Amino acid sequence: MKSLDPRVNRLPQITGEKNKEPLDQFGTYEVFVQPKEGKPFQHEGALHAPNLEMAYVLAKEAFTRRFTCSSVFVVNTCDVFTSPTTDGNENVYDQIDEVKDGSGKIEYEIYQLLKRGKQHLHAGTVVAGTPAGALAKAKSLFRSDKIVYNVWAIEKNKIRFTTNEEKDLWHTLPEKKFRDASDYKGGDKLKLFLEKKDDLKTWHEQRSTKGITFQNGR
Amino acid sequence: MNNEALKELLFKMADDLLILGHRNSEWTGLGPLLEEDIAFSSMAQDKIGQSHALYQMLQTLGEQEPDAIAFTRTANQFHNCQLVELPNGEYDFSLIRHFLFDTADALRWQMLTQSADEPLAQLAQKIRGELRYHTLHANTWIKQLGTATNESISRLQTSLEYALPYALGIFEESPYENDIVSSGIFGGEQELKTKWIQKINEIISQTQLQLPALTALSPVYGGRTGKHTEHLQPLLNEMSEVFRIDSSAEW
Repeated sequence: MKSLDPRVNRLPQITGEKNKEPLDQFGTYEVFVQPKEGKPFQHEGALHAPNLEMAYVLAKEAFTRRFTCSSVFVVNTCDVFTSPTTDGNENVYDQIDEVKDGSGKIEYEIYQLLKRGKQHLHAGTVVAGTPAGALAKAKSLFRSDKIVYNVWAIEKNKIRFTTNEEKDLWHTLPEKKFRDASDYKGGDKLKLFLEKKDDLKTWHEQRSTKGITFQNGR
Repeated sequence: MNNEALKELLFKMADDLLILGHRNSEWTGLGPLLEEDIAFSSMAQDKIGQSHALYQMLQTLGEQEPDAIAFTRTANQFHNCQLVELPNGEYDFSLIRHFLFDTADALRWQMLTQSADEPLAQLAQKIRGELRYHTLHANTWIKQLGTATNESISRLQTSLEYALPYALGIFEESPYENDIVSSGIFGGEQELKTKWIQKINEIISQTQLQLPALTALSPVYGGRTGKHTEHLQPLLNEMSEVFRIDSSAEW
């Protein structure tokens, strides 16, 4: 098959095609972004990757190639312990029970959903022995008048954070406005094109009233 | 200071980045994974941006404006090493080339942060985050696929052996090598090559890939003096197609 795209025509021929095994796909990783130094991290989405480090590498471009940020981290979806999500105006902390989890000393990052349809936001760090214990700790520390619809507890040492020296990864991003659709100024380009088209039309009309015809008009 | 020596350095760096940036951008929309497609395309964009900055520096030294330099020269006027002009082939080759070239590129810029040429030293500082990402990306992929399956390991090994003589061509010395080193502009290709061998060894040794004895290989030289493979001119034709139809076009 010939394509109009020369790159496609140059692609190597695929030989020995085989069917993919069912469920043969990468696991998912959750991506969190800190929009600015001092602001809380927020959940941005998920991606597929073969391992945590690859997830970090791919997340950096998939999630932060346009809007500048100060830091990114990723964690295996399996390492995010989630509470139930509540209905209506029910506060999820009402559904979280006290847990006796002894003297565990694992650090957990707590993320809360404060608005339906929005991202989970970092609330703080707690120390507990189990994820359920971490949610109970979160209840005692972060419960306020604000309704929380869902809470996550993420074991801190399972997270691939951005290191201090990696903070320069986004150093030149503010100069890459050309990646934003708005920078392309499609509206202005269309207006210019239409104006030119009108000029061309008037020009054609004037030429044709003078009885000149085109054989290969543009 | 010798202006010709500085220009020679800027030209070869800029041409490497433009040509590889263009080659890598050929993967846009065709990459093996959505996320990888985005990452590889972004890095291609970075490279073209870096080449643009270098062409702007050349303009201040009396050369033509960047678009004219990029789009109006013929293959024999380009100073890129042959490694960067080779066709993309399959993704294993593109990744190995990315790893071999970007390792050298990042080390070169790291050396240039100490350059006696102020604009070059400033640019080196400015883009260090981009280079950090490029090498993180390359190293992570090589470590991943270099330890994954028999197929991934043997594909990378084959591409590595094919690419290495071309990669050694990165370090083809300039006729102004002594000037450029003694004037403190750049530490020189020999020093860079030594650092590069150390770095690629460090990554390859974390995989099941075997690095062949580099001293037994004949480096592919010629690119720095305008001798190229038959692949460069078609690339230039394609890259400059719109410019040649309408040099003022914006797209």
